[in-house]
Amino acid sequence: MIAAILTSGLALGAVYALMGVVYNVMFAASRVMSFTTGQLGMLGGVLGAAFIGVLGLPTLLGFTLTLVCCALVGVVTELVAVRPVLHKLEQHLYVLSTLALALMIQQVAAIEWGTEPRPFPHLFGIGGGGATDEKFWLPVLACAATIGGLELLFRRTLVGRAFLAIAEDNFAARALGLPERNLRIASYALAGAIGGLAGFSSGQLLLAFFANGAMLNFYGFVPVALGGLGSNRGAVASGLALGVVQQAANFTLGGVFASVAVFVIFILTLLAAPQGLFGVAQQRRV
Amino acid sequence: MITRRTLALGSTGLAAASLASVRPTLADNEPIRIGWLAALTGPSSAPAIGFDRGVHQAVDTINGQGGVNGRKIELVVRDTQGDPTKAVNAVQEMISRAQVHAIWGPTNSGEALATTPIMARFKMPDVHPCFVDSLIDPARFPTAFRMAPSNSQIDEAVSDYGINKLKLKKFAVIGDTTGYGTTTVNSSSASFGKRGAEVVYKGTIDATTPDVTPDMLRMRDAGAQAIVVWTVSTGLISRLMNTRANMGWDVPFLGHPAMGSGEVGKLIAKPANWDKTYILGFKNCSYGPDGKLPQKVQAFVDSVQGKIDFADTTLWWVLAGVDAIDLIAGAVRETGSTESSKIVDYWNTLHDYPGLFATYTFSKDQHNGMPQSDLVMSEANSQKQGAYKLAPGYG
Amino acid sequence: MSSVSQELPRPAAASATGVLGRLLPYLVILALALALPFVTNDYWTLIATRAAVYWVLVSGLNLVVGYAGQLAIGWVALLTLGAYTASVLMAGTVTAPLPAVPAFAAAGAVGAIAGLIVGLPALRLRTFYFAMTTLGFATIVTQIALAWQSVTGGGIGIAGPLLPATVANGTGFYFLCLALGALCTWMTANVAQSRFGRALVAVRDAEVAAEICGVSKPKLLGAVFLFSGALAGIAGGLFATLQSYITPDAFTFDLSVLFFISILIGGRGSILGPLIATVVLTWLPEFAAPLVVWSTFLYAALLLVIVLAVPGGIASVLAFENRRKLPSNRAVLPRPDLLAELLPRPPALGAIRLDGILLRFGGLRAIDGLDLLIEGGAIHGLIGPNGSGKTTTLNVICGYNVPEAGSIVVDGAALSFGTPQRRVTCGIARTFQTPRVVGEATVLQNVMVGGTTLGQAGFIAAVFNLPRQRQDEARLREQAFLALRIVGLEHLAAVRTDRLQHSELRFVEIARALMSRPRFVLLDEPAAGLSVDEILRLGGLIRAVRERGIGVLLVEHHADLIFDICDKVTVLNLGRELAAGTPEEIRRHEDVVSAYLGG
Repeated sequence: MIAAILTSGLALGAVYALMGVVYNVMFAASRVMSFTTGQLGMLGGVLGAAFIGVLGLPTLLGFTLTLVCCALVGVVTELVAVRPVLHKLEQHLYVLSTLALALMIQQVAAIEWGTEPRPFPHLFGIGGGGATDEKFWLPVLACAATIGGLELLFRRTLVGRAFLAIAEDNFAARALGLPERNLRIASYALAGAIGGLAGFSSGQLLLAFFANGAMLNFYGFVPVALGGLGSNRGAVASGLALGVVQQAANFTLGGVFASVAVFVIFILTLLAAPQGLFGVAQQRRV
Repeated sequence: MITRRTLALGSTGLAAASLASVRPTLADNEPIRIGWLAALTGPSSAPAIGFDRGVHQAVDTINGQGGVNGRKIELVVRDTQGDPTKAVNAVQEMISRAQVHAIWGPTNSGEALATTPIMARFKMPDVHPCFVDSLIDPARFPTAFRMAPSNSQIDEAVSDYGINKLKLKKFAVIGDTTGYGTTTVNSSSASFGKRGAEVVYKGTIDATTPDVTPDMLRMRDAGAQAIVVWTVSTGLISRLMNTRANMGWDVPFLGHPAMGSGEVGKLIAKPANWDKTYILGFKNCSYGPDGKLPQKVQAFVDSVQGKIDFADTTLWWVLAGVDAIDLIAGAVRETGSTESSKIVDYWNTLHDYPGLFATYTFSKDQHNGMPQSDLVMSEANSQKQGAYKLAPGYG
Repeated sequence: MSSVSQELPRPAAASATGVLGRLLPYLVILALALALPFVTNDYWTLIATRAAVYWVLVSGLNLVVGYAGQLAIGWVALLTLGAYTASVLMAGTVTAPLPAVPAFAAAGAVGAIAGLIVGLPALRLRTFYFAMTTLGFATIVTQIALAWQSVTGGGIGIAGPLLPATVANGTGFYFLCLALGALCTWMTANVAQSRFGRALVAVRDAEVAAEICGVSKPKLLGAVFLFSGALAGIAGGLFATLQSYITPDAFTFDLSVLFFISILIGGRGSILGPLIATVVLTWLPEFAAPLVVWSTFLYAALLLVIVLAVPGGIASVLAFENRRKLPSNRAVLPRPDLLAELLPRPPALGAIRLDGILLRFGGLRAIDGLDLLIEGGAIHGLIGPNGSGKTTTLNVICGYNVPEAGSIVVDGAALSFGTPQRRVTCGIARTFQTPRVVGEATVLQNVMVGGTTLGQAGFIAAVFNLPRQRQDEARLREQAFLALRIVGLEHLAAVRTDRLQHSELRFVEIARALMSRPRFVLLDEPAAGLSVDEILRLGGLIRAVRERGIGVLLVEHHADLIFDICDKVTVLNLGRELAAGTPEEIRRHEDVVSAYLGG
């Protein structure tokens, strides 16, 4: 029982953690929390199933195409729903624009892909359905690879440090001559790719289903809220914890009450620690 | 460029245009307007998509033959998305603006619960395929007719099969967390209990749960000899089947026809996972001992070769859609009128009316048209062109 | 004297044409709504009824989202609770069946309490986080409705309330909902135009300023959540009546989002905008419906277009007075002689005494053992290099920062820390280093915020615009206008504050500070960005404030102003007092010259 809870809990948790990273990357570049985050995860699964399962492309090609398409969707998000409302952030218009765009993406998926969950192909044939089935360790692998890759990017490459610069102090970075707009587009492309990776690696677990977006939106936000906005490590820790808690609740309470329990725990934890469990306290207000 | 002025002018123009009431011509060759309240997108949309194929096939056929008494059928379709709010808006639009003569649908019980009182108030003739018992009440809703089984009838068929044919005593009854799922779990459990069987486990599972191992383990621990499943979610169904195989648990699944849909076939890990699953079926959509469908049904299936794909839906959904149009068109043809009272009176006289999907009998006091004898159990993985083999135990 | 100050305009009196002009859009909408059932069919009446029911909820939510700026996306939870409460009570499944009025009143009460529960996290959480918690609440309520089968009927749902025959459905019900919608418009407009409405907007856009003006955010938001929740609960009962049967799947995420976006598309801080938006957004899906499966896509696409094309919302399109040009060479000409009218009774001279204040930010000692005495009827200057702790000292006095050691005593009574909203009762007022004003409000409204605590009428009186509320408001207006005349900005009273020049904003803050009849005024670099002339006039104004017996603490970098008007000067360096004395003594002090003033 414990084994069952842990395997599926960690797998799901890894997906939630990755969605949290997507939120973080978009926020770092633009100070915007985008509702399209969950849809990127959905597209990763749907496009992966479409390219590899339906069109029969080889796995690597399908994977690459999926990431490219999701990166494109990320860029479109920046162009259409984020940049036009950046100058009026305090009005929270980004909520509306990203929500509208997310709804459009979801509807297109519903109409073109169908409203029933469709199968996501086996990638490596390591199956059996037990604890070692690839559908459980693929998301965890993807999460580890992403975190490792981001660490490398931020610490070792110039581009990565430029990302950090505009995240920390936008004005100073611009004064230094960093191309803020291009960096933001690149950030959104990166976020799109990470979202696509999350959806692709969890396709066998969540199935290629158009309605995954809304669920991933919320459960991807919880790691951000609990882990502290901007902290990827916090997102990973909180995401994994969330996955395990959710599965444990499913096992002990089952059905309806499991999701109620998860929400209640989330709200209470957030009230107790508004900056997140790993977050930093707010700066001086006056 | 979209300026504020163009936005304002454009929207006022649109508003004015849509406010203008549609005044239909009063000539005798005005089209027969049939409203189709379909949940084509959103959750639980698989049945509606199946119905829709049958509906369009029937309308095209009738119109191709010159219509009914020279009058063409005009279909007014609205996608309710499974949302009762949209369903209420749509049904009122069909009644008051499009002024349809009869309505087929809605396809979801949640929507039907909200739209039935409205249709009754405006005396709109309505046939629908929803299962919930309380939807049919000839005293309160004299114009509402059901051409599918009711929940009671379904519970009867399934519990009868489990107890009398499979000869089992302990059952687990589960459903998804939708309104249909939670309600049917209760009514099905009661039906088993009434026949003297023991319901060792009763529960609901969120249809989007990626891993149903905990629930399956609980059912096995409770000693269930069969699992009765009430959900249309193919994702949940396939996960249940795959988990059953992973656990190596040789327990039969009984219940909702959705377990036999082509979607499930694509989602399961191995074809063997689909064995030992017995779903509610319909006599007309089952291959008899001679391996053949009833002649009329076979003729229909042959006639739509290449036009309708059955692989990702079920035959009974398509046939129900055809029958719905047929019932409405037939009423207009026999009575020579599209008046509500005439249509309803005609339906009330139908006795053993030979539809494709089933043989219907209605009367003034009985608006559940499907006889119990039309309900059978089928083998879920035996789907061929949308129809099934009868489950073991039928002779 | 320029022509601007020759005429002394009175505050905008309630002239007949003015009132009619403001009411006209509402009257037009009402007339169209009344005529609707007679020119079109039951379908459009149904849609209009739905819009009216939604407006009952949205009008209350408007105060939460549009005025208070809280992103309550999951407000559908309250609609659900109200719908089930009214239905269950009228059906008699739990108690004996109740008639309509008590059942709906109960729905309102349940909605009010739930509104408080759902809304309270706003006091602790940042905006987007709060938005997500409201979504969580919405899901919880739906799940409970699904699970609690004995009461709510679970998935099978429950029949909606059955009203008396004349208003049960069709046109009768439509007129009932229309009447309720009109009532809600009136009530929420009353709140919006009262000091509570102004305080809400101030909390949204200039929270620190609102606090120092005495606005208690918990109490204010609490009242608003209760009121909005009640409206949402009643709307729920009406919704259930309209649907005639409710199941948990009727309360969708889409519906919740609809309420929320109605307000943002209507425009913040407006009643008319969200009203129009609610009507449009209820009608819009119907326009797209014939497209069948593509209808929702079109709806979302149109939404995106509207957000990008009209970001300020419908209200910004309708705000004609914001486009009138302002004269470009305006001068600020204060009238210090009018101070006696605003503050007729000079306060008894008191003092603020700081003793041994110690405050650290992490490892940095921002204030390192500071003693300070601010006396009534005197101007005390506080100068020093950047980072020496000047603004931090003001923050400690105002209660924004809590020191680790030390005490502050005002007239013998110790001040509590961390409670800026109580400072106004001790007679402390303040201006800020960067002007903290509500850009979207008029100058007059910003100044009136300063007098928030002087109002006597409560929230209920504001909702129903009772006589005491009207008197309060008239008095407040008159005094705010007088304050503007004192600082010389009365000609800009009706102008949106974000159109003002920086120097004018500084004087607006001073006018606001004067509104609360302070005994001590703390000024944080008021001369920054002012021209030489303006600094002279500012000096004259501050002197006049001192003559009225008010103690002034003046933090400044402009040495000329300091030495010109101050009675005493304290020099800070590295959080500690470097020197204190008369301006003459300070000017010659060696350490001060070397650390700050320069040779």
